[in-house]
Amino acid sequence: MIIDERNIKMWSTIGARATFGIAALEIAKKIDNLIVCTCDVSTSAGLDRFRKTLPDKYYDLGIAEQNLIGVAAGLASEGYNVITTTFAPFQTLRCCEQIKVNLGYMKQKICMVGIGSGLALGTLGFTHCCVEDVGVLRSIPNLNIVSPADSLETIKALEAAVNSEKSTYLRLTGSSNNPIIYNKDYEFKIGKSVTLVDGNDIIIFCAGAITKNCLTAAEILQKKNISVKVVNMHTIKPIDKNILDESQNFKLIVSVEEHNIYGGLGSAIAEYNSTFTNSPKQLFLGIKDIYGSGGTYDYLKEKHRLDPEKIVEDILKNLD
Amino acid sequence: MSSKEKYKEIFVKSLSIDNAKFHEKLKYNEIPEWDSIGHMTLMSGLEEGFNISLETDDIVDFSSFEKGIEILQKYKVKIDE
Amino acid sequence: MDKSNINKIQNFSKSIRRNIIDMAFSAGASSAHLGGALSIVEIISTLFCHVMKYNDDPQWQDRDRFILSKGHACLAYYAALCEIGYISKDELQTFEKDSSKLLGHPVINREIGIDFSNGSLGMGLSLGIGVALSLKKRKKNNRVFVIIGDGECNEGSVWEAAMAASHFKLNNLFIFIDNNKFQQTGTNDQIMKTSDLRSKWESFGWETIDIDGHNIKELCNYFESMEDSELKPKAIIANTVKGKGFSFSENNNDWHHSILTKKLYDQALEELEVNK
Repeated sequence: MIIDERNIKMWSTIGARATFGIAALEIAKKIDNLIVCTCDVSTSAGLDRFRKTLPDKYYDLGIAEQNLIGVAAGLASEGYNVITTTFAPFQTLRCCEQIKVNLGYMKQKICMVGIGSGLALGTLGFTHCCVEDVGVLRSIPNLNIVSPADSLETIKALEAAVNSEKSTYLRLTGSSNNPIIYNKDYEFKIGKSVTLVDGNDIIIFCAGAITKNCLTAAEILQKKNISVKVVNMHTIKPIDKNILDESQNFKLIVSVEEHNIYGGLGSAIAEYNSTFTNSPKQLFLGIKDIYGSGGTYDYLKEKHRLDPEKIVEDILKNLD
Repeated sequence: MSSKEKYKEIFVKSLSIDNAKFHEKLKYNEIPEWDSIGHMTLMSGLEEGFNISLETDDIVDFSSFEKGIEILQKYKVKIDE
Repeated sequence: MDKSNINKIQNFSKSIRRNIIDMAFSAGASSAHLGGALSIVEIISTLFCHVMKYNDDPQWQDRDRFILSKGHACLAYYAALCEIGYISKDELQTFEKDSSKLLGHPVINREIGIDFSNGSLGMGLSLGIGVALSLKKRKKNNRVFVIIGDGECNEGSVWEAAMAASHFKLNNLFIFIDNNKFQQTGTNDQIMKTSDLRSKWESFGWETIDIDGHNIKELCNYFESMEDSELKPKAIIANTVKGKGFSFSENNNDWHHSILTKKLYDQALEELEVNK
C-alpha cells in the first residue's frame, strides 16, 4: 500500500474500520495462508471488498463469537494466519474464556480486531461502547494489546500483528473522518512507543484516536509555556518500559484513554511506575468507572472530560 | 482543462479505475470500485479538487455521475464542457 | 466385519481399561474422572484401532484428527495414546503428578499426540470445525473426530458450533455424543433435560444415528456401511454406561470424579480378568 499524502487523507476520511478492511485485502493478496473470520459485520468492518475479491479466504461465522474464536483457533492450529473481527465488546468480552484457552493457554496465533471500541458508538449506548476490553484482556498471558492512533497506524499495526508470532488484540477507536496523526510513513514496532511532541514538564501517554485531543491539549499548554511531551503508547501490552523509565523525570504523568481508568493504559503505566521509589504523580484521564448516558462521539468525549479543553483544565488543576 | 474534464479525472483517480471503465452514466454500486469505501474516497477527492465541504445529505444523495453535477451546482461549482 | 478385527478392538478396550485404573490408582488422593472415561472406552478403541488413519509420527500431516471435547475423560485418551505407542507406560504413572504432561484435562502437546488443550467444556467442536475447514481447503480427505459429553450439550457454544458445521457442509466431521445420562452432580434429567439429543442434532442439519456405544460390532458397522450421500456432518449419539466395565462404578455417579482405593483397584483388576 503506497503511503502518500493522498492515501493518508483518504484513509483518514473513511476511518479506521474501512481502512482495516482495505489493509486486510492488500495483506491477504500477499500472504497466501491469511484468512479473515467475522460475525456478520462484513460491511461495518469495511470487508465488503475483501469478501467479493477473496471469498475463499473469508468465513462468516454468524453472530456467534464463542464459535468464532474456536473455529479461528482450529484454522490457526492447521497453519493458517487468521484475523477475526467484530464489534469490540463481542470480539473480547463475549468470548473471553475462548480467548484465554485458545490464544492465551494454547498459544494459537490469531489477530483479533475489535471495531468501534471506546465511545465512537455512543448513540447506541454502552451495550456497544466498549470501555473494558483492555482491562479484561490484559490479564490473559501471551496476548499483545495494540490501539492505533489513526488510520495509517491501523494499517501498520495490522501488518505487524499479522507478521507477529504472538496473538494480538487490535483495538480500533475513532470514527470516519479520523484525525490524521502521522502525515508520512514512520517506523512502527509493537511494544515501542512513538514520541509525537517533545517537552519536559509534563508527559502525556495516550493510545487510540483520543491521541488527537492530547496533541491539541499540548498546544494549548505550550501557549501557557508549560512544556509537554506527548507519547503515543499504541502498545498497551507489552508496555514500553524505556519511555516509562524516562517518565520518572517529569513533574506530572498523564494517561489518557477512551477506556475505564481501571485496568487500561493508565493502570498499566501505574503498575510499572509504582516499582520506583518516588515516581511522579499520575493523573488518570478516561472513563471514571461509570456507564453514563449515550450520545454522539463528540458529546461523550466532552462529557467524560476527554476533549482538549477539559484535558488542559484537569492537568492545570493537578500541576502544583 | 474544463471543469467537466477535472470532474471526470477526480472520478477516475478516486475510484482508481481506468478510463475505459468510466462513462457518464456511471451509478453508485454499478461497479465494484464504487462501493461504500470508494464513495467516501470520491467525496474526499471532490472536496479537495473543488475546495468545498459536502453536506452529509448531499454525500448520501450523490448516486451517479450526472446527479453529482446537480449537487456540485449547489456549491457554486459549474460543470461544463 | 470379520471376527479378528472385533477381537483386536476388544483387546484394545481391555488394555485401555487396565491403563485407566492404573492411572486412577496412581493418582491416589488427587482423584480422577473415572466414570466419564470408562463410558467412551469402546468408542475410542474403535477409533484408534480400526477407523482413524495415523502412523508413528503423532504430527503426521495426513493423520485423521481427534479432539476430546469432554476433556475430563482424558484417562481413556491417554490410555489409547499409550497403546499406540505415543506415550510410555511409565509416563502414564506421572498422571496428575507435579509438572506432569498428563493432567486431569488434556494439555496441548503434539509430540505425544495431544492436539489441543481441552477441559473447558463446549469448545472442542468449534476447534473441530476450524480443522475440518482447513482439511477441506487443502483438499485432504482426512476426517475429524470429536467426542462431546451429553452434559456438555448444556453449553450454548456447542450449538453455535453445531449450526456452523452444517452451514459449512462439513461431511468430514464426525462427533460422538457420549450419552451416559449423567453429568457432574446428577442425571441429565435432574440437572438440565437435554431430551432427545438425536432430534436436536438432526434439526441442526446433522446426519444422526443412535448407537450402542459399547457394542464394537455396531460401531464398526456404522463406519463400514456409511455412504456419504449428503454433505452433512455426522452426529453419532452413543448410548453408554457411565463407569462401564467395573461393577462398583457402573451407573454410579460418585465415580464422576473420585479416589480409586487399593481395595477397589484390586477388585477392578480381578473383574478385568474375569469379564473378557
